[in-house]
Amino acid sequence: MDNLVRTPMTFWSSLNRSGMPVSDRGRSGFIFSNVFLHLHPARVHRWSLRWPTTWGLGIAALSAFLLTLITGVLLMFYYKPHPAAAYLSIKDIHFVVPTGRFIRNIHRWAANIMVVGVLLHMARVFFTASYRRPREFNWLVGMALLVVTLALSFTGYLLPWDQLAFWAVTIGANIAQSLRELTDAVGMTAFFDPGGLQKLLLLGSDQVGAEALIRFYLMHVMVLPLALAALLAVHFWRIRKDGGLARPADVGSRLPPPEGRVYPVFTEAPQKTYSLAAIVRGKTPAVGNGPENTVPAMPHLMLAEAAVFMLTFAACLALSLFLDAPLKEMANPAVPENPAKAPWYFLGLQELVSHSAFMGGIGIPTVCLVGLALIPFLDREEEGTGLWFGGPGGWRLALASFMFGSAAVLAVETVAINFGWIREWFPGTPQIVITFVNPGTLLTAAYALYSVWTVRRYDSTRAGAIGLFSCFIAGFLILTVIGVHFRGPNWGFFWSPSMWGGH
Amino acid sequence: MRQNKHLLLWTSLVLLGTLIWAAVDENFLRDWRRAQREARGKLAASERADLPSQVRQIVLAETGAVERCVSCHVGMALDGKEVPGDKVFGRHPNVIHDPARFGCTVCHGGQGTATLLEEAHGTAPHCPEALLPKRYAYASCGSCHAYQDVPARAGLETARAVFERSDCLACHRMDGRGGTMRPGGAGGLEGPALSRVGMLGYAPDWYAGHQRKKAAASSGPWRSSMPELTDEERRSLSAYLRTAVGAPGLVLAKSLFLSRGCLGCHKVGGAGGDDGPDLTAVGRKDPVLTPYARVRGPRSLENWFKDHFRSPGRVVQGSKMPLLSLDEREADELTFFLFSLRRADLPMSLWPKDRLCVERLGGREFASDGETLFGAFCSGCHGSAGQGRSYPGLETFPAVANPSFLKLASDRFLADTIRRGRPGRRMPSWGAALSDADIAELVKTLRRFGDSPFAGDSRPARWARGDARRGASVFQADCAGCHGPHGAGGTAPALDNQVFLEGATDSYLFRTVKNGRQGTVMKGFGAGSPGRRTLSDAEIEDIISHLRSWRKGK
Amino acid sequence: MEGGMMDADALDREEDSRLAPEPMDRRDFLGLSACAAAASALGFGSLGILRLPKPGVLSSPSKKFRVTLPESLLPGQAFVPQGRPVAVYRDDGGVFAISLVCTHLGCVVKPTAEGFECPCHGSRFGPGGLVKRGPAPKALPWLSVKPVAGRSVIVDEGTAVPNGTKAAA
Repeated sequence: MDNLVRTPMTFWSSLNRSGMPVSDRGRSGFIFSNVFLHLHPARVHRWSLRWPTTWGLGIAALSAFLLTLITGVLLMFYYKPHPAAAYLSIKDIHFVVPTGRFIRNIHRWAANIMVVGVLLHMARVFFTASYRRPREFNWLVGMALLVVTLALSFTGYLLPWDQLAFWAVTIGANIAQSLRELTDAVGMTAFFDPGGLQKLLLLGSDQVGAEALIRFYLMHVMVLPLALAALLAVHFWRIRKDGGLARPADVGSRLPPPEGRVYPVFTEAPQKTYSLAAIVRGKTPAVGNGPENTVPAMPHLMLAEAAVFMLTFAACLALSLFLDAPLKEMANPAVPENPAKAPWYFLGLQELVSHSAFMGGIGIPTVCLVGLALIPFLDREEEGTGLWFGGPGGWRLALASFMFGSAAVLAVETVAINFGWIREWFPGTPQIVITFVNPGTLLTAAYALYSVWTVRRYDSTRAGAIGLFSCFIAGFLILTVIGVHFRGPNWGFFWSPSMWGGH
Repeated sequence: MRQNKHLLLWTSLVLLGTLIWAAVDENFLRDWRRAQREARGKLAASERADLPSQVRQIVLAETGAVERCVSCHVGMALDGKEVPGDKVFGRHPNVIHDPARFGCTVCHGGQGTATLLEEAHGTAPHCPEALLPKRYAYASCGSCHAYQDVPARAGLETARAVFERSDCLACHRMDGRGGTMRPGGAGGLEGPALSRVGMLGYAPDWYAGHQRKKAAASSGPWRSSMPELTDEERRSLSAYLRTAVGAPGLVLAKSLFLSRGCLGCHKVGGAGGDDGPDLTAVGRKDPVLTPYARVRGPRSLENWFKDHFRSPGRVVQGSKMPLLSLDEREADELTFFLFSLRRADLPMSLWPKDRLCVERLGGREFASDGETLFGAFCSGCHGSAGQGRSYPGLETFPAVANPSFLKLASDRFLADTIRRGRPGRRMPSWGAALSDADIAELVKTLRRFGDSPFAGDSRPARWARGDARRGASVFQADCAGCHGPHGAGGTAPALDNQVFLEGATDSYLFRTVKNGRQGTVMKGFGAGSPGRRTLSDAEIEDIISHLRSWRKGK
Repeated sequence: MEGGMMDADALDREEDSRLAPEPMDRRDFLGLSACAAAASALGFGSLGILRLPKPGVLSSPSKKFRVTLPESLLPGQAFVPQGRPVAVYRDDGGVFAISLVCTHLGCVVKPTAEGFECPCHGSRFGPGGLVKRGPAPKALPWLSVKPVAGRSVIVDEGTAVPNGTKAAA
């Protein structure tokens, strides 16, 4: 009987084993005895808590992901993945499902913010040179996360089954097939057709239809979110194993004296290595280090994270309240949407694709991804880790490169828009020439040459990387803006969408 | 730390505010909730509980589609509650097709699934279809029905005049008119309503019955209003009554369409020419694909149609459609008919009989007499009586009812021309769309228009033995000015057309050149005329041989 | 590095330890209100989320429907409109409708000469819908019937009326 009376108490203490987090120890216990928090360190470096260190971009992307996860599950209550029903079920969500319209808007805005967050987070990691040893692998995991994020958004794009969805995915599937530009040129498409195979695997048919819809649905709600969750777990775990966020070697002198009191973990450099049951080799990250400049993660880190979470939530929801997620006419395989535009973050690619499907859709993105993946392995320098625009050249180099990148992309696009391209000048040029000589490839080559020149000039790989990355940001931004704003029906150039007129 | 606390506090409050606003919007501000609040306000206090705030919808048993129009128009659902006499919340007037079974959009258009005003009425962007303007409401009968054997306009106008003149409306009601009580005990409302008599049918011996009753009556409308009718008038009446299908004005509008030669260039349900766009579903014209940039006035399909009739070339750039010079009433009527071209995509089991007949059993939407066929397929280019047309900016269309032409042209030549057309010119080949009987009817109609039988020709089809080279120089000198240096046509018809060269006999060519064509600039070259020299028979033969040299692959 | 070291030394001297409770503001209004605001926003959001799974409108056809009885319908003979689990009868007293949904577990019962039989668990009902045997807990409900113009009636599956209520046909 006594036990029954005490059950609420015992239940509470079984739930919360470490007691209220009032002492440092209690706080540490609170974190590592909680399955949701135990990815956090018990104590966190004061450098990591500075706003300018990260601007909270990774957490923002994560919270946007959580929002899409929650709202996505909710949308699945009503969504019906079949061409005959999909569009109407979205209409129903919009018109009669309680809170349905709001939830769908949140899903869409959170997805957008997630993409922005991931891209900015990557830029932050790059410009603070935080990818360097020992964080090379986590950089790769991060790139995998970027790819999965974009794939999630691409697969989600088809599900409403409206004109936009249908034609964007038709274009996407044909980009997958565009490897044929190469195999056709060699004349081996008949025997070996990896492009066609890719499209077949993507759509389950030769055109976008019920098979494609169910595939995209499965990828969108099951495969990709699971992959993303698994990669996220690795990503977070690696942050801890790699010693937290990157910080400059002279971090102590860069931080102002702490307000209040800070409790060091180690008052002097410990010498012991930890060899847990003789399984773990090597030293603890703290071995040989002086006293740490850390604060307890609870409440300092928790509070910062909660604030970023809440900021992202509030931004998503406020946007969702006022701006409805678009839904165009039902998919009509006979009449292409004109212009058929992909989501904005793919419009840069679509601009490249308008010159050559293979190079724009596969070639250049692959080169970019490989280049990004190689950065931490080529840049073995140490100067400026953890600092914005750290390394030779600094922000001046980044700015100059950005200018060069913008100028180059504007020049190439101006030529292409005003004077056309090789085929307009020399009719009958074989496709293979255009595949390799088009505005996209020329731009890539210009960026690569510029980067090599920067490496020479500063005698530093890091400088080359900054040059290249800044150029690519410029290229991405400007191509995206052109794709979003200046392209109209038949992918023609228009100064403003109001000039599209009747087509 | 402090900053972060502030950030957390304020963003949380913003979030909370957003959520509260979303909740208010969801629970109070939805269009359908506002409409139902308004309806409740108009109800007596005791009845308000009968109209709880909820989305209502009609689930169509046959197609499984849902229509939520009744969420706002609460009086029109069986499970709603009407506000008597209210336009928006009242009961639907009694119609043949029960809305509970057929739904709303099949007749009214709009977006049935929507619960937001603009989306439901189709004025928001990306809506599949806007609400059909109310005065064209009967056009929606065309969603399912296809009225068969509609004759040309002229006959129907006469028939309507007979109907009005015969004072049928004294006793009968039709399309909301007539059958009213008349002062002085003159009667009214005795006769059955005729609005749908074209579908339901009537006794074939009605006239005898009416006359018997007239003979039996001593006074009242039977004596005062029932006239004696000739057979001709009774035929007219029966033609008019066949148009009474419960869709006032629709069949008349269709007859106007069939009299304007639209089918010469446009297809409707598989019948018609290929020069213009297929009009089978033009009443549901996709708002996205419709160019509104050059349309004057409001952006609506109705206005597009009307403005397009006023000036086709302005609304659709590069349009080859001639200016129809319709008056506003005709333009309105044609617009009404175009709205009726809106075949709904329904399973065949739901099709009404007339549509089955037209689409599966070979029935036709136009009557098969020569006048109707000529009106429907030919009159757009050749004029309502074959007098030919010339539109600014377009080539001249020949006067096919020209007597001097008809005298020279054998029935076979005419039929062959209609059947095979003039490849490369705007005259299409009608062999696939029209049967031999139809073409024979058309030829007869042409003869009637021109009032000239074939003069006959005793000579073989080819007898001219001229010298083509001499002919060429004569042609250059005397013919090329109008017919073009290589006979490709100019202000005068093309002569190098292969089907023409194959079908035209030497006699036809010879006499045309020699005697000319009355009423056109083609004067006879056999007798000199001012500014033209006289050609000898031998020279004409030379020309014929020259023309024959254009014939390919003999 | 130096700043950190100095702090550490200073702290060392004060003989503080991370094991001791850290002094914390007793009344951290800002922190508490921030946490409260966050919790209430998330809580309110979760409440909103709970609204979603309950559909706003059912996709099944309206419970009210119009039936036109055939001229030849005999008294006591059931007329079952297509797709509706309802038997409509007409006798001298008027028109009435009995629901065919078994009151036990919702199977559709079959009208027979003696009443109704349920195929699922063997319930039997008498002609008026009263339970004769089997697990059904109560009689089959009679449904509201409203005559309209012509030979039609409007039956409302959603509204039960007392047994024996007939509408004048």
